[in-house]
Amino acid sequence: MRRGVWIGIMILMLAVGGAGMALAADVRGVTDTEITIGQWGPQTGPAALWGAVARGTDLYFKMINEEGGINGRKIKYVLRDDGYNPAKTKAIAKEFVENIGVFAVVGGVGTGPGMAVRDYLTENKVPWVGPSTGSSHFTRPTNPYIFGVYPLYKDEAYLLTKYAYENKGKKIAFFYQNDDYGKEGLEGAEIALKELGGALVAKVSVEVPDTDLSSHALKLKESGADVVIMWLLPKHAAIILGESAKLGYKPQWISSNTLSDAPVMMNITKGLWAGVITSMFGDLPNEDTPLMKKYREAHQKMAASERWGSFYYAGIIWAEPLVESLKMAGKDVTTEKVLTSLETMNKWRGIGPPLTYTKDEHQGAKSVKISQVLENGDVKPLSDWLQITK
Amino acid sequence: MDMKRDYYEDIQMLPSAWEGFWFVVLLAALALFPLLGGNYYCYLANLIAINAIVAIGLNLLVGYTGQVSLGHAGFFAIGAYTSAMLYGKYGLSILIALPAAGFTAALFGFLLGLPCLRLEGPYLTIATMGFGMTVTQTIGHWSFLGGRMGINTPKLQILSWQLSKDTEIYYLIIAVAVLMTIGARNLVRTRVGRALVAIRDSDIAASTTGVNLTYYKTLAFAVSAFYTGVAGALFAPVLGFISPENFNLITSIVFLGMVVVGGLGSIFGSIAGAALMTILQIQLSAVQDLWLIGPLISSISTRWFNVGGMANVSNIIIGSIMVAIVIFEPMGINGLYLRSKRFFKSWPF
Repeated sequence: MRRGVWIGIMILMLAVGGAGMALAADVRGVTDTEITIGQWGPQTGPAALWGAVARGTDLYFKMINEEGGINGRKIKYVLRDDGYNPAKTKAIAKEFVENIGVFAVVGGVGTGPGMAVRDYLTENKVPWVGPSTGSSHFTRPTNPYIFGVYPLYKDEAYLLTKYAYENKGKKIAFFYQNDDYGKEGLEGAEIALKELGGALVAKVSVEVPDTDLSSHALKLKESGADVVIMWLLPKHAAIILGESAKLGYKPQWISSNTLSDAPVMMNITKGLWAGVITSMFGDLPNEDTPLMKKYREAHQKMAASERWGSFYYAGIIWAEPLVESLKMAGKDVTTEKVLTSLETMNKWRGIGPPLTYTKDEHQGAKSVKISQVLENGDVKPLSDWLQITK
Repeated sequence: MDMKRDYYEDIQMLPSAWEGFWFVVLLAALALFPLLGGNYYCYLANLIAINAIVAIGLNLLVGYTGQVSLGHAGFFAIGAYTSAMLYGKYGLSILIALPAAGFTAALFGFLLGLPCLRLEGPYLTIATMGFGMTVTQTIGHWSFLGGRMGINTPKLQILSWQLSKDTEIYYLIIAVAVLMTIGARNLVRTRVGRALVAIRDSDIAASTTGVNLTYYKTLAFAVSAFYTGVAGALFAPVLGFISPENFNLITSIVFLGMVVVGGLGSIFGSIAGAALMTILQIQLSAVQDLWLIGPLISSISTRWFNVGGMANVSNIIIGSIMVAIVIFEPMGINGLYLRSKRFFKSWPF
């Protein structure tokens, strides 16, 4: 009897071990019919405005699935709300890797939440395409599993400043949020002006909790700048435009692409946003390229209750290169194959910036488009893709 | 059978052999949990244990002493940054960083306790809230502490034991949590605990019977801050990255919510409240995956609220649970527990 029990236990252990090995041979998140891809995004909390990103990705994947999927496999998309709370983001990342088993992660809004999971995802060899932030912490230094689709704040500020200096006026002031986000923008602007032989006429910073910006507006006015470049949160941009209007100060306002959702900005500035120049990390919402048209049709058909804003289709932009690399990887998808496919991309374009990845350079996007907001909340292009010369 | 014959029986740590037995069973279950749970559930357990330590500390202040605080995210931040700096930047052992973080937070707790001596009710709440916001503001402006951007915290190591996985950090956190729970239970049954309760019930009456208000109120603040600081010190390595954003007013409110939901003036309640709130916060983000009802509520919410979908549902559920508990069971989960215990004791009569 006792021997029988022992033999039973041995068989059981072998079976469990065997099952474990069989699983290990497979690729996490890939079955014969499905590829699982995850994303976190703030659907609640202070950054819920940017939650549209993760839902845009959902639309894109639905569209791909309707077209028949990728090499016969459908995409199973797992969207989780982290409320912009890094502790929750980390729980989600662990759930993705250990419970759900995702093949890759796409997008993911925010530097703080992203930083909390960056090392964990890398340790677990999860490809991560398009962290939804222009911070340099994800692709500098090169991380073998992370691919940047969002232009770095520094590069973006460089391009915007250069554009402003050449087209709008030589007296440029920089108004920024006093943290890494704002400082990376400031750095880019200073580099650009140094190359052009100029200098900022004023550098004014604002703290996240500040709400009274009258003295900031006064400082900007006294500097006599013709152009003010903003690296801010939406609320600060709205307040400073209001305060400056009160003072009768009307420079050319220029903003980073974090404020590129023109209808929202028009709404919270009560129309003052008209005329502002912003950079864009993708094609303009009303542009008539074949891909844009196709996506807008899919949007009308499958998610008409969503607004077609720049953050919504940003979710498509971040996911495009991943889908492309999955297509290139062929029928037998492995992590290595997807990574090497991504690394062969050269000036590849969907509706985002041209992407070039190599083994040592995972910051694929180095260009932005420049656009201007019209009175009716639409945007018009001022430039094609401008690339930093590097 | 539950009759107390003398005073010492009333204040025993373990009133009966049965409770001793269950305590051992609980410890064994906690020790075996990582074998079953895996990394994800251990991470969840770690968060619960950390929040439970905070909730116990906060309950000592709110539930036992009757001093409301909305500034505990501040102490939490102080603990997290102290330990992250000591073991991250200066390479000290976490075994030193942990109590150091606790005592640093306690010092700030003592300092905050002094001006709060004369404040009560809403005034006290505002003062503590101000404290919490001051702490995150200061950290945000202090580039030595990483400023607004935050700092990465390295992997833990105790002597030659690498704690890289959640299942390994789990043992450290659970050990600390058990010790601190026993400590709190011991504290409330002693002279100090009775003095705190006396202050809560009526501080004038307490002072006439010889309770030194200054001493005990500041002590309550310091002890509460100590607990929160230690929890913060454990939180830093669990998250691996801390920034002032993690310690905002919402964090303080959630802490207070744990205490109220769990049951004021109860250590068991603190733990239960922390567990419930943590699980709800984390698990409700996956509510759309529930069988049958998941897609249904998700489509209702997308259709009738806003396109955010699930976000509405999780907030509504958390909110209604809190409201329901406060209305129907003001003593929180602890009250539920006591009632059901009484019910079964007298069953079937």
